Amino acid sequence: MSKYEYVPEPALVKGNHDFASLTRLVTDVNLRPTPKGWYVAMIGANALLLVLLVAIGYLFWEGTGIWGLNNPVGWGWAIINFVWWVGIGHAGTLISAILFLFRQDWRTAINRFAEAMTIFAVMCAMIFPGIHVGRIWVIYWVFPIPNQMDIWPNFNSPLLWDVFAVSTYFTVSFLFWYVGLVPDLATIRDRATDKIRKVVYGIFSLGWTGSNRHWWNYEKSYMILAGLATPLVLSVHTIVSFDFAVSVIPGWHTTIFPPYFVAGAIFSGFAMVLTLMIVARKIYGMKDIMTDDHMEKMNIIILVTGSMVGFAYMMEFFVAWYSGVEYEKAIFLLRATGPYAWAYWTMMICNVLSPQFFWSKRLRRHVGFTFFISIVVNIGMWFERFVITVTSLATDYLPSSWDYYSPTIWDVLTYVGTFGLFFTMFLLFLRFLPMVAVAEIKAVLPQADPHNYDENYDYQEPVEEVPESQARLY
Amino acid sequence: MKDLEPTDHQMSEVKENTYWKSLSELAQNKEYQKFTEREFPENATELTDGVSRRGFLRVMGASIALAGLAACRRPVQKILPYSNQPEDVVAGNPLFYATAMPFQGNLIGLVAENHEGRPTKLEGNTLHPASHGRTNIFNQAAILELYDPDRSRSPLKNGTQVSIEDFAEFAASHFSNTNQRVAFISEANSSPTYQNLKNQVLNKFNNASWVTYEPFGEDNAIEGNRIAFGRRLRTLYNFDNADVIVSLNDDFMGSHHPNGIDYARQVALRRKLNDTNDTMNRIYAVEDSFTPTGSFADHRLRLKASELEGFTYALASALSGRISGLSTFSGYSNEFSDHQWISTLADELIANAGRSALTVGFEHNPKLHAVVSAINVALGNVGSTVSYLEVPHIDNQDTHQALQNVVSQMKAGTIDTVVMVGTNPVFTAAADLDFENALSNVDTVVNLSSYVDETSKKAHWHVNKAHFLEAWGDGYSFAGARSVIQPQIQPLHKGLSEIEFLSTILTGNLGNGYELVQQTFNGYYSSGFEKRWRKILHDGIDTTDNFNAVSVSLASSFNSAMNAAKENLPNTSGIEVVLRPDPTLYDGRYANLGWLQELPDPMTKITWDNVAVMSPTTAESLGVSNEDVVEINSNGKSIKIAAWLQPGHVDNSITLTVGYGREGIGRVANSYIDYTAGGVDTYPLRATSSTLFTDAQVSKTGEQYEIACVQDHHSLEGRDMYRQTTLEKYKENPEFATFKSVHGYGVPGMEEGHKLFGEAPISLFDEQEFPDKISYPEYEPQWGMAIDLNSCFGCGVCVIACQAENNIPVIGKKEVKRGREMHWIRNDRYFVGDDVNEPQAVHQPIPCMHCELAPCEQVCPVAATTHSDDGINQMTYNRCIGTRYCANNCPYKVRRFNFFNYPKEYLTTGDDPDIIQMAMNPEVTVRFRGVMEKCTYCVQRINRAKIETKIKTGSPKPEDKTVQTACQQACPTEAITFGDLTDKDSVVMQAKSNNRNYQMLEELNTRPRTSYLAKVTNPNPALA
Amino acid sequence: MAQIFPKWTNQVPRKILIGIIVLLNVVVFGIWYFFSPEFTDVGYAPEQPVPYSHKLHVDQLGLDCQYCHTDVFESKVANIPATQTCMNCHSQIQTQSEDLALVRQSWETGEAIEWIKVHNLPDYAYFNHSAHVNVGVGCESCHGRVDKMEVVYQEEPLSMGWCLDCHREPEKYVRPVEEVTTMGYQVENQLELGKELVDKKNIHAPTYCQGCHY
Repeated sequence: MSKYEYVPEPALVKGNHDFASLTRLVTDVNLRPTPKGWYVAMIGANALLLVLLVAIGYLFWEGTGIWGLNNPVGWGWAIINFVWWVGIGHAGTLISAILFLFRQDWRTAINRFAEAMTIFAVMCAMIFPGIHVGRIWVIYWVFPIPNQMDIWPNFNSPLLWDVFAVSTYFTVSFLFWYVGLVPDLATIRDRATDKIRKVVYGIFSLGWTGSNRHWWNYEKSYMILAGLATPLVLSVHTIVSFDFAVSVIPGWHTTIFPPYFVAGAIFSGFAMVLTLMIVARKIYGMKDIMTDDHMEKMNIIILVTGSMVGFAYMMEFFVAWYSGVEYEKAIFLLRATGPYAWAYWTMMICNVLSPQFFWSKRLRRHVGFTFFISIVVNIGMWFERFVITVTSLATDYLPSSWDYYSPTIWDVLTYVGTFGLFFTMFLLFLRFLPMVAVAEIKAVLPQADPHNYDENYDYQEPVEEVPESQARLY
Repeated sequence: MKDLEPTDHQMSEVKENTYWKSLSELAQNKEYQKFTEREFPENATELTDGVSRRGFLRVMGASIALAGLAACRRPVQKILPYSNQPEDVVAGNPLFYATAMPFQGNLIGLVAENHEGRPTKLEGNTLHPASHGRTNIFNQAAILELYDPDRSRSPLKNGTQVSIEDFAEFAASHFSNTNQRVAFISEANSSPTYQNLKNQVLNKFNNASWVTYEPFGEDNAIEGNRIAFGRRLRTLYNFDNADVIVSLNDDFMGSHHPNGIDYARQVALRRKLNDTNDTMNRIYAVEDSFTPTGSFADHRLRLKASELEGFTYALASALSGRISGLSTFSGYSNEFSDHQWISTLADELIANAGRSALTVGFEHNPKLHAVVSAINVALGNVGSTVSYLEVPHIDNQDTHQALQNVVSQMKAGTIDTVVMVGTNPVFTAAADLDFENALSNVDTVVNLSSYVDETSKKAHWHVNKAHFLEAWGDGYSFAGARSVIQPQIQPLHKGLSEIEFLSTILTGNLGNGYELVQQTFNGYYSSGFEKRWRKILHDGIDTTDNFNAVSVSLASSFNSAMNAAKENLPNTSGIEVVLRPDPTLYDGRYANLGWLQELPDPMTKITWDNVAVMSPTTAESLGVSNEDVVEINSNGKSIKIAAWLQPGHVDNSITLTVGYGREGIGRVANSYIDYTAGGVDTYPLRATSSTLFTDAQVSKTGEQYEIACVQDHHSLEGRDMYRQTTLEKYKENPEFATFKSVHGYGVPGMEEGHKLFGEAPISLFDEQEFPDKISYPEYEPQWGMAIDLNSCFGCGVCVIACQAENNIPVIGKKEVKRGREMHWIRNDRYFVGDDVNEPQAVHQPIPCMHCELAPCEQVCPVAATTHSDDGINQMTYNRCIGTRYCANNCPYKVRRFNFFNYPKEYLTTGDDPDIIQMAMNPEVTVRFRGVMEKCTYCVQRINRAKIETKIKTGSPKPEDKTVQTACQQACPTEAITFGDLTDKDSVVMQAKSNNRNYQMLEELNTRPRTSYLAKVTNPNPALA
Repeated sequence: MAQIFPKWTNQVPRKILIGIIVLLNVVVFGIWYFFSPEFTDVGYAPEQPVPYSHKLHVDQLGLDCQYCHTDVFESKVANIPATQTCMNCHSQIQTQSEDLALVRQSWETGEAIEWIKVHNLPDYAYFNHSAHVNVGVGCESCHGRVDKMEVVYQEEPLSMGWCLDCHREPEKYVRPVEEVTTMGYQVENQLELGKELVDKKNIHAPTYCQGCHY
């Protein structure tokens, strides 16, 4: 009896599952005939998507004037939504890449799911920088393409960095996601009974046979991609924050933005994962895989990042006062007490106050409450971007040019519309792709663990028996 | 917009106080805050736009066009050469001709830029004494008037179009009867040709009467001089010699003063400070409502218009004991006699006798003018600061009286024909005259006017008037300089000028302006006509002082008149309403010019509307705040108009401006329900008895009316954008304007910079550090601008000049309301001081600063805004994709964005856009939807000068003063200097070497090329 | 388990990958070339209302450019001659020619002849002839060998990049001012001569935006 007692991790997968049952549990969703509920949801999502298309169409036709923008406030909801969606797009890659490198096995239950969300969120995000410009038809000038004008984009501009950062992030996340999918697609291909499924899944599983060599390549590429993705998680939102941090506008021009934006991004990302997970696991009966333990772990991350964000808010005020710059001081006072105070305090309550409830274990494990907070957090994070973007512009250096910004119906419709795109994609994902990384989650089952401990948890040296025939090779 | 209601709602809660409490550390007493900032406007939603956008398209009407920007890939473009090329026309090079603009009958000499026979821009004529090469807002906007598609396009017979020949026929037959009783009502006109014709007309018709009618003319002043001196004389000031100026409710620097440009220049030049040894004149203003002149004064006293008479008599009596000539007032006293100002002014005027000037506003009654003239005489100012001119073309009768007589005759039916020349009495005449009905008793009404206006609609015959740039004319400036009005283009709509019109009536066949004017000048030029004629056409002026200044002495009638006046002073119980000409539309004649409608009022910064301006105290007593509609009842008439709080306005008084609320004049002037040119017709409150102020009952209606004000926030918040001091303090500390003396410490990074590279502050960038570290190519000039705040009185001509030069669109009230104004140079107006009732108002013109380290340049993703070798912050429209990042990152917020396709939208709605397109400057691209734009330092002028210099001299650097920006050239007080910073002797370098020179937001190290010269006031210690 | 796909499909993914890369490059370079004036505009030769032949007048009769385009040294535009200019000769020569009917008509009525513009610059590009010819940029440098054209056509792309070629290295193109109108001007030592001229005329062709765009 050693003086240290080995406390086993609570099983990551509840219920008495073996490999086969897990495979069925996950992939049957894709093989079963489409449920009615799915169609209903899909129609709703498409309706919203239509709204988006109409809003964008009218924007192209009339010009950015249909939005509530004015002279001091050149960026409104478009940019806010962009930052918000990109932020949400952070959880996925963090879970899949960073937690993978840190060997956090619990990630396997949600990584597929979170990555999908990431990709769709980034899609929604990428719409906005594209459409918010005045002359959309020449937007391609931001790409360094040789042209008859002999002129390149301005590589000093954070907006240009954005273009590269976000597109890179999207590409890598997408590859990462797809590579992870390959074995599972193969599984579905093999379980599929009808020709079409066989062919389609067959094509996308790239002829996966599950041979040792395939697995070896798979693991390597997955590891490499994880390595590539990890810095991206940090770089994307850092660079997005540069859009503001690099400017001279009080309230934007601050060095705290990169860490503060990344923390906020993870904060909102996890909240969004939770929102979706809690619904999905109920509908698809995945409670055994996406357990309350997972929920609790994620709630802890929300608590941590939420507090980091809160700390950043305080720091901003301190620095504003400490810097002694009157414009800096003024802008922060205005945020808290000025025309936009309502937005500021919404942000504070949602982002700083609400996560604090998760100090209590009971609340961390309470499904309904978690769901509620997860939504509150995303509302809060939207307002954070609103406060940063709008208040700073509305009341900057020259009092003469101060003006109030309020959005028009088209700002709102465009934002609402992006949910149409998001949910459409997500529903398609749930319907046709395995929402859990089957291959990976099997690896965390007890069955997958080599039994090197006896019932008293004493370590037993495994005995290696080499067949005669092969012994010669050694 | 359900979703947003909570937003806006909570807004209004927060707005009231908390917002400003939060800033109270920026040193402000709470009471003041309430007024220094106006509540942020709540934007209406795009949804309600459908209607109003169309409205705004109509508005765009007379104001924009697409001069360039080919839409499709290769439109087939044609070149139409002359068939027979006129000499000295070089296609592509503009020609400049001298001409002159008549305003209230007084000419202001101008030079017209003419591209292949189409005038595109007007500048002042440097040889002309009324202009000195400078202009006012009306001169600048005249170009737009010329090309206004809403101008009347043909004669109308009872409302139906007829040809000009038809009118000639009618004239021939109708006016052959010389015994008919015909009344002529004409606007003021100084043209000698016109005067000849007038005399001929009066000879021809045995029963003719002639009235010269200007709703806001100088008649009171002239009548005043008759009371004082027994002769109808014009008062002309010469502020060059005035050390002390007392303005009694007289906005003599304002654009609408017939001699405003010259006066403003004289006053301002006496306040130029090159170093601490220079002296300044001292200006006292007594006024009810804030005027540019009042904001320029060193001391300002708020006084109800009705109390001014008493005040002036009290002043006269205070003086009477100490100088001779005012004996009538000796011993007289009233409630003002022991007012601090009376004794102070008396001392000042006596101390500066002979070098002082007392002025009073034209709107005030003749008696007041008489006293002021008497005082000026008594002070011995005549000959030095003031002179009295014999003006031949001024009628020898009180024109207000004359008009009343004619109207009563008309009502009595004793008039057969009324001929109105260019005047609009149906709209402007005092309400109780009921001119409209009077007209209906007349058999034949003939009217000449540029627009089919209220009067034309009542006339049997309307003749479309030719614009002064379309027809020959002549006349005198206010001070008596004689000029010829040289047309720049054939009449666009075959209109008749006044002289052609009169001679048609006289002779029965269409007059020829050219011959008529030449005849007149044949009379002047006994010998060598051809030569002298050519000279006057070239110079735009021949003889300057054609009105002889007469020596004056008080007439016996004066005393009796005064004794009567002293006894019954006018007084208004409760709230008085004051009617004034509008600072931008004058009496309404410019109502259809989008440029002027959208030009912010110099003091309220309101566009597109007139409002009931009142003091915060009065507003409180009425329980109204901004945009609350009040009902004003006076003389049985009643109007509803939005209230506006104006710090510094006198209590218990409401100032209204006229000219708005028009019907069926043109798409800009017309008042629409929603958002487009609105305003209220305030003339109904005008009464013959009291043209300036009347008693009124004012009540709150509970309605709201949205006002488009371009400045939402009126306090500096204790920031240092605007720096000023007094003359003594300046002499003590000439460096008062530097960042260090304002903040007590230097600009961060400057010291470190000194160690590294001499003068320059520390910087990440090596390039663009001119002049401290030459990395600009030395063969290029380096452009810079200095704006002397000591000379700016906020008239706004720079804004219009810029708009005219740079094809800046008019966007309509709705868009201005949204905060999308497009002006490249704006004129910020702040209220300074702690007492909300006695604030100082300061003006600060803000163009692009052309920063050497421009924040906008770093952030543009496509390099659409970059720096040129000659130090200009360039905006390249055709590269711009419209991210608006540059505008966000501009600390001075001078960048303007085309949120909609403003020019194009006009093209699809105007009846014949071609006409307006002619007003566009061919040297400047018309910007398309979705591109950013901003002040370019008039790069088209710079490039033209550079190329011409290069060709002529081979040098890449134009001579100093050869490049003038539009704003600089227009500014009457020479507040703006521009030039090459590499030339140490250039005017701009001299200005920048002045110790008052400072950079706005210097601490940001943006290194602006546009800098400011701090303001210095010259207060009287006695009043301090 | 039955094979779904034949063996050759093993290569497909690789091929697709390569295909995409190639395609992207083709697109980029396609746009670069086919969307540029060099491809779209060069060779534009609209039919003119009057079949005026530069070949005849310049090459064979030896008229100088400036005989008709008189203002090129003073103005931003090289003017199209007034009908008057044509009539100087054609009131004696070819008085009855069919081709000249329009010219005579214009001369009588005073109506302009509607020539079609060949060398179109965008309205936001402010090109100034006098600025160029006065420092020795030859007519043919931009307009090509007009003396060999029966019908005038656009020979150079007139694209921004093309302008910059010369603005960046004027010495490669400038010539003595008196040679400006010469057609087919050639010297072996263009570079040295060019450098001399650049110094002599102190030519600093602007390469910043507002040199041309405002």
